[in-house]
Amino acid sequence: MAGIATTAPTGQPLRSRWPRAATEVRAALATAAAFVVLMATGGAFATVTPKGTVLAARPGAIRGRVELRRVATAAERRPTVGELGTPVGRDVPDLLRSVVYLESAPRGAFETSDGGHAVMDQRNETFVPHVLAITTGTTVDFPNSDKFYHNVFSLSKPRTFDLGRYAAGRTRDVRFDRPGIVRVFCEIHSHMNAFILVFSHPFFALTENDGRYRIENVPPGTYGVIAWNEGSSSETKSVTVPDGGTGELDFTIR
Amino acid sequence: MKVRRSTAARLTWVVWACAASGAAAQTLPSEPIALAGGHVTVSGDVSASYGCEPAPDRACREDVGFFNFTDYSHSALRELRIGVSAAVKAGPHFSVLSEVRTDNFSDVQPYALYLRIRPWTSHDFDLQVGRVPPTFGSFARRTYANDNPLIGYPLAYQYLTTLRPDALPASADELLAKRSSGWLVRYSVGDPTPVQGVPLVSAFRWDTGVQGHGVIGIVSATASLTTGTVAHPLFRDDNDGRQIATRVELRPVSGLVAGTSFARGTFVSQAATRAALGAEADDSPYTQLAWGGDVEYSRAYYVIRAETIVSQWRLPIAATPARQLPIRDPLTAVATSIEGRYKLRPGLYTAARFDHLGFSDLTGATVTEPWDAPVTRVEIGGGYSLQRNLILKFSYQRNVRDGGFLQQKASFISTQVVYWF
Repeated sequence: MAGIATTAPTGQPLRSRWPRAATEVRAALATAAAFVVLMATGGAFATVTPKGTVLAARPGAIRGRVELRRVATAAERRPTVGELGTPVGRDVPDLLRSVVYLESAPRGAFETSDGGHAVMDQRNETFVPHVLAITTGTTVDFPNSDKFYHNVFSLSKPRTFDLGRYAAGRTRDVRFDRPGIVRVFCEIHSHMNAFILVFSHPFFALTENDGRYRIENVPPGTYGVIAWNEGSSSETKSVTVPDGGTGELDFTIR
Repeated sequence: MKVRRSTAARLTWVVWACAASGAAAQTLPSEPIALAGGHVTVSGDVSASYGCEPAPDRACREDVGFFNFTDYSHSALRELRIGVSAAVKAGPHFSVLSEVRTDNFSDVQPYALYLRIRPWTSHDFDLQVGRVPPTFGSFARRTYANDNPLIGYPLAYQYLTTLRPDALPASADELLAKRSSGWLVRYSVGDPTPVQGVPLVSAFRWDTGVQGHGVIGIVSATASLTTGTVAHPLFRDDNDGRQIATRVELRPVSGLVAGTSFARGTFVSQAATRAALGAEADDSPYTQLAWGGDVEYSRAYYVIRAETIVSQWRLPIAATPARQLPIRDPLTAVATSIEGRYKLRPGLYTAARFDHLGFSDLTGATVTEPWDAPVTRVEIGGGYSLQRNLILKFSYQRNVRDGGFLQQKASFISTQVVYWF
């Protein structure tokens, strides 16, 4: 998934550190060499030194833990004053999972790709999972696993859509082509909501319920990293990923 | 049950305080406020409507034909409504639900306040005691403004007929003379104060009593015993009668709901009956009897609803003046409405409703005609979601009244802002 590393560890484009007098040929040779190394190493990253020497660089990882000072509470059902009886029970969404992502990513990572498919189910009046993190180009399926209608929609700027009402066993899908945070709702059940975080790069990870996360295949370098949970973001933290190694980074949100 | 007027301002403050407490970034909160670990839930609903009848002099005229009035001083097209709902859950068997409202900063009214009991958690059966949701019909339980795709209400639930529970016409001729004046009507028997008549089914007040509701498979059934009637819900009884109401709903396939309703209750107040018939008179025969049938079908981007309500009132025959005829037969009204909504794109929909309210013929000394002036209404409009819980609606409404002494035709252009959390 990770593209060719075209940034230096400091995150600056390599070309900017070369003298302006450097020839186009030299750049072309460097890029070609990087491509050759990439192929030879079966997907490892290539680093080009200022002198044009091409070095194979192994991807690393970022891992750590996100601590939630205050866990968000699930949206309650509006008081059912107009109902003739107790409404059907529902599941409570999992609000413990956070998303950790690189604030800026290596340039090669932004190459467009078909992001494949992801699924956000509607089950017991809850979107499952409650948080989905995907890359641009991904199509998300929204099956209805309840016995009654749902109507998934979003008015978020990165992707507005309305799938209309559809019954149990049916599904509709939406392709997400722009990065951003998309809030998803059900028009019929106002307490149903979910988040879809759409990234233009693949360097993100969802935490486990204990807050631990691991972002794989990160090119060596120094990056700004952000943790997000239920609409709240952490301060940007810096981490350095060594060649083939792992950077450690913990967060506290709220 | 009225609360002091100054509390309306407090209610406004509560709504905005609740909204502010959940405010995040630049967006208005969209979720109810949960307190005490989710045992208490508070939500709010604010709607502001403004409609006018374009006049020849380009003035924005109010509804001088009283087509949309819900009482003498409130028009559904010029209204600021603030409502706060709360649910208190006390374990799996008990919860208390309430809603208070104020219209145009008038007195705060307890719209709903009842205890919901679920005797067996494994069965879909509930008992509700207090000021309970209406058993009858399909519209009156749509408590929130965003449940109504348009701005006006269906005629059956809003249009004021000339009948009153506390005052009676002494003859058919007196009733026929009041045609179209349901917004402020006065009769010679009973309470002499001029006030508004009743709609077929009130959407603005709920009745008080006990209600049972159960679901088995695709069938749900509800029955209630309450103090007032569907046209005149009460907190304190004004006669010795009770109303029995039932409703059965079928949901054979996803998106299809078919319901039928029935209600019968003593309508005329004891004071009015005694004014008509004497101090020993029995008020129990003077009832409102109502039947209703409704169907809703929704799929993909559209929802279609249709409802018919038949209401029949029996009034005591007062001492009829000379050369006038008594009201011997029950007075019947039939309302039919068809409503549809279609989503054009995310956040934008269009809607329309056709409505007719007709009345049975009544014979007076000189003429036979419907006992109130029939009304036909068409409303076309739509809504746009500025954000998920902030909706801007607009509509055009055309009303035609066949007879009566008030304005017989009127068109309104209206807009409404709805916010809820």
